[in-house]
Amino acid sequence: MTTLIATSRDYGALIKEDRVHSAIFTDEQIFQDEMERIFHRTWLFALHESEVPKHGDFKRLQLGRFPIIATRDGDGQIQLLINRCRHRGAQVCEAMRGNAKRFQCWYHGWTYDSKGDLVGVTGAEAYDQKFDPEQHGLTRVPRVDSYRGFVFASFDEQAMDLRQYLGATLKYFDIMVDASPTGELQVKPGVVNRTRYRGNWKQVGMDGYHPHYVHMSVFKIFSKRENTTGSAVGALHLEDPFADSSSSRTRGFEYGHACLDFRAQRRPHAEQSIEDLRASDDGRRYVEDMITAHGEEHAKELIAWHGDPHLGVFPNLQLIHDHVRVVVPISPGETEVLMYPVFLKGVGDSINEKRLRAHEAFYGPAAAGSPDDAEIFERTQRGLIADADPWVLLGRGLGREEQDEDGSVAACISDETTQRAQMQEWKRLMTRR
Amino acid sequence: MAKQIVNAAPEAVTTGLVDTATQQRLERFLTYEAALMDEHQYDTWMALWEGNDIRYWVPCNDDDQDPSSGIAIIYDDRSQLEERIMRLKDKTAHAYRPQARLNRNIGGVVAVSREQDIVEVASNFVLGEIRVGVQNIWFGKCLYRLRDSGETFRLLSKKVMLLNNDEAMPNLTFLV
Ligand code: FES
Ligand SMILES: [Fe+2]
Repeated sequence: MTTLIATSRDYGALIKEDRVHSAIFTDEQIFQDEMERIFHRTWLFALHESEVPKHGDFKRLQLGRFPIIATRDGDGQIQLLINRCRHRGAQVCEAMRGNAKRFQCWYHGWTYDSKGDLVGVTGAEAYDQKFDPEQHGLTRVPRVDSYRGFVFASFDEQAMDLRQYLGATLKYFDIMVDASPTGELQVKPGVVNRTRYRGNWKQVGMDGYHPHYVHMSVFKIFSKRENTTGSAVGALHLEDPFADSSSSRTRGFEYGHACLDFRAQRRPHAEQSIEDLRASDDGRRYVEDMITAHGEEHAKELIAWHGDPHLGVFPNLQLIHDHVRVVVPISPGETEVLMYPVFLKGVGDSINEKRLRAHEAFYGPAAAGSPDDAEIFERTQRGLIADADPWVLLGRGLGREEQDEDGSVAACISDETTQRAQMQEWKRLMTRR
Repeated sequence: MAKQIVNAAPEAVTTGLVDTATQQRLERFLTYEAALMDEHQYDTWMALWEGNDIRYWVPCNDDDQDPSSGIAIIYDDRSQLEERIMRLKDKTAHAYRPQARLNRNIGGVVAVSREQDIVEVASNFVLGEIRVGVQNIWFGKCLYRLRDSGETFRLLSKKVMLLNNDEAMPNLTFLV
């Protein structure tokens, strides 16, 4: 269902192993081609199934250039429908979220149900026998699949199997989901930081090199705190997770996924995290329930990891700390970032409340972390326009990478392995015929 | 704040819950508070707050989003607010440098409840921001809990309901 815009440009020449051309961040034609070749062909994260739990629940979202209504239909299935009336093209749903069993287009009154089927045509007698309502339901996104509640979509009927696409990253999804003793998360469509910055969507990468500099003010403040376990920069009072001498690793996966892997670095902090939790009733119960659900050893590491996979799934999803982050490209120089805090099911309210406060302390338009990231993305966008020396260097740590048994490439936390993985996937998709 | 004014006791919008002199002191106080924010006078602004049981709250998504089950843009107690002030003053907090140039108009100052020396006051503002060549206009409604000493006021809590709190927003790099 997608058309490729013909272009004679050689996008392969813009991506080298250790550097990329700044045009990929600034060029309008490249952005349009990214929509066609990346966003309209590969797998995109759509929503978490808990956002539309009941029949008729819906939520609007954006996939590439397509405005989408995600619904829960009468059979309990999630439908991803293009928000465009099949009569003359008006959007049929204006609310961002809610519950509706019918979507009525108010241009001429056609009505669709939560499956997207056309169930009402006003003045239907004016159409002849050949008009088949079944052929005029809201257009469905052809491929929809999910992993542990995370729903992905692809406009390419031929897209590879989702499990293959996610590959070795699946176990990182588990880190987030299994932080719940019942293995269930809740994402609320009406609880989200929506931010916008004047910079390219690919700036939202996975970068273990920037925190000491971009987030210097946070490091300063945290160095004054007694305990920073569970905070967005980790247990800084115990060890700096962003030091190359730490056991944190940066990882690049096939198909452009990337991760800052803090598992080994955080594991020794399990006892302290458990001790912190045991200071409250909800925390004590949480530790017990986690041990019952996962066994002592795995429960301890899950608690040490704080449900934070720090995973980037190309091109539009990140699972960072307590939240699900969705990247929405608007134009080459404008991007929206949606951050949905994740609630754990099967835990006391105070556990989730603590996670909410930790999230909002670092993430969001007035928090301690996100504004400095957005600021640096905007400065970068302003700098990239000056393309006299157009190459953006991504070669850090190229000489100290190792292939891991799960197929990922790993290196020190500040190495640009993550960016290299993303850029190679960008090249694969942009040059694919 | 509109809803608070609409729902206030009828006297709040007729004869008023405070006398004219108090109304004038209230308006002068809120004008002063706005000027301190516009001029980035963080320490002086911080000194307007009284006691340890304070709350500076900017809801997200919904003016009445419950903070126990939803997020806020800002939900600071005293220690968090003190850290925020440290960052606002810190030259290495890049989002705050250069500082935004700000100009806000406040209005609609109505005392919506009064109990002894505690006054609840609604107001609203229009705020122009210029930073790195970009102008943003912010709108908001405020609900304050103030202690009236007879001479001046002290902040006990402040809730700021931004008009765009459910929209994609740029960095909010100053006090509202
Ligand atoms: S465009 Fe929707 S009914 Fe005509
Ligand atoms: Fe960052």
